[in-house]
Amino acid sequence: MNLPAASTTGLQPNDYRSDLKPIWCPGCGDFGVLTALYRALSTIGRAPHEIAFVSGIGCSSRIPGYTTAYGFNSVHGRALPIAQGIKLANPDLLVLCAGGDGDGFSIGGGHVPHAIRRNIDITYLVMDNQIYGLTKGQLSPTSPRGLKTVTSTYGSLEDPVNPLLYVLGYGASFVAQGTPADMPGLATLIEEAIRFPGFAFINIQSPCVTFGEPDQQLKSHKQSMQTLASVGHDSSDRIKAMDLAQAYGQKLYTGVFYRNPTPPPTYEALVRERQQALDPSALPRPRILDLFLQQ
Amino acid sequence: MAVSGIDLTTLTLRDALDLAILVEEEAEERYKEFASQMELHHTPEAARFFRFMAENEAKHGAELAERRRELFQNAPSTVTRAMLWDVEAPDYDEARAFMSTRAAMQSALHSEEKAHAFFVEVLPHLKDPDVVALFTELRDEEVEHQTLVKQQLDKLPPDADLNPDDFGDEPVGQ
Repeated sequence: MNLPAASTTGLQPNDYRSDLKPIWCPGCGDFGVLTALYRALSTIGRAPHEIAFVSGIGCSSRIPGYTTAYGFNSVHGRALPIAQGIKLANPDLLVLCAGGDGDGFSIGGGHVPHAIRRNIDITYLVMDNQIYGLTKGQLSPTSPRGLKTVTSTYGSLEDPVNPLLYVLGYGASFVAQGTPADMPGLATLIEEAIRFPGFAFINIQSPCVTFGEPDQQLKSHKQSMQTLASVGHDSSDRIKAMDLAQAYGQKLYTGVFYRNPTPPPTYEALVRERQQALDPSALPRPRILDLFLQQ
Repeated sequence: MAVSGIDLTTLTLRDALDLAILVEEEAEERYKEFASQMELHHTPEAARFFRFMAENEAKHGAELAERRRELFQNAPSTVTRAMLWDVEAPDYDEARAFMSTRAAMQSALHSEEKAHAFFVEVLPHLKDPDVVALFTELRDEEVEHQTLVKQQLDKLPPDADLNPDDFGDEPVGQ
């Protein structure tokens, strides 16, 4: 998205904090994600009324309620179609989309490839905790093989979905991973994703403190996380990104896996172009709105 | 380091005071968040302690703000909250539903230790003698705060011999 390099509005992180108090469990990773998001938004400097934030269902999907912006805590797995509709209706909005791993890769898994191939300019934050937390700890699409839960008493028999490989495989132009164990790093990633002109995906390993595994908590992340920069990764190399993404579940790499150096045009730009080609007299969207309001 | 975008070698007393005020503000805010979490999750004793810590951080912040006003009146600040991360604010993963007062105090102690480590790390980079004096004072205050928290910890009875991770206040439905 074409944005100024830094905030020119003087907006502070707390300007994006809503009056609602988060009801996540104490120690939940999502608190750090929210704090990182406030920081990223203040750096971007877009006013709250210029931001639309859509989510699905789940603990993490409460995040729009805690953010001062237009928000829609929508239907399970359907956050991406709604976010795409909002972006097409009003391309000037900064559109954020959020949800958990179940929302994104199970219930809503079918929507992810289409958002990617359209390359609509929205930022999709998946708070991946490898469990269904809100419904009290069932297997989720990213739960590791062997995990014992209330729905897998003797251990899961399935391999997890690899969210990084999933989106890279479908051709996403911006793919990153972060953790709230490194809030400054996560804030930078969110800012980069918003600035990227096209669909941007961040897998945020955000532990579930109540039902998550002990070795998947923030304290473990602080020990195990490794920046992609420290392994000399070139984020323009998609093949290498896919190679590194295979370590999902074994290693916690943080940073940008892939940033397309020549991103394709966004869907909303192509739609506008097509409208112009079909009807050169078509008015730009704000002009149509002005005319409507004058009536 | 917990700050970014700040050149410590050219840090002025005004900026240093502004930074110190923001450190207190960030810690106050986090303690308030923790208190709110504890109130919501039926842990009133820890909530009371976190409110107490928030009030203390606010008091320190107000004292620093008063010094800043006396010296520099309303001169604009060039330091922002975006430049610091968790200098004295407790880490989010320190909080737990049903945490004991002892555990709450221990999390505050970790925060005081973290803040002390920050000032120790920063001091060798500073050039302005007034800034060095201020940060030395703040570093030593962190040691005093640690002593105060430890004294309070000593007065508490030992925690029950239970693993806090065996207890959780499960997520609330939509």
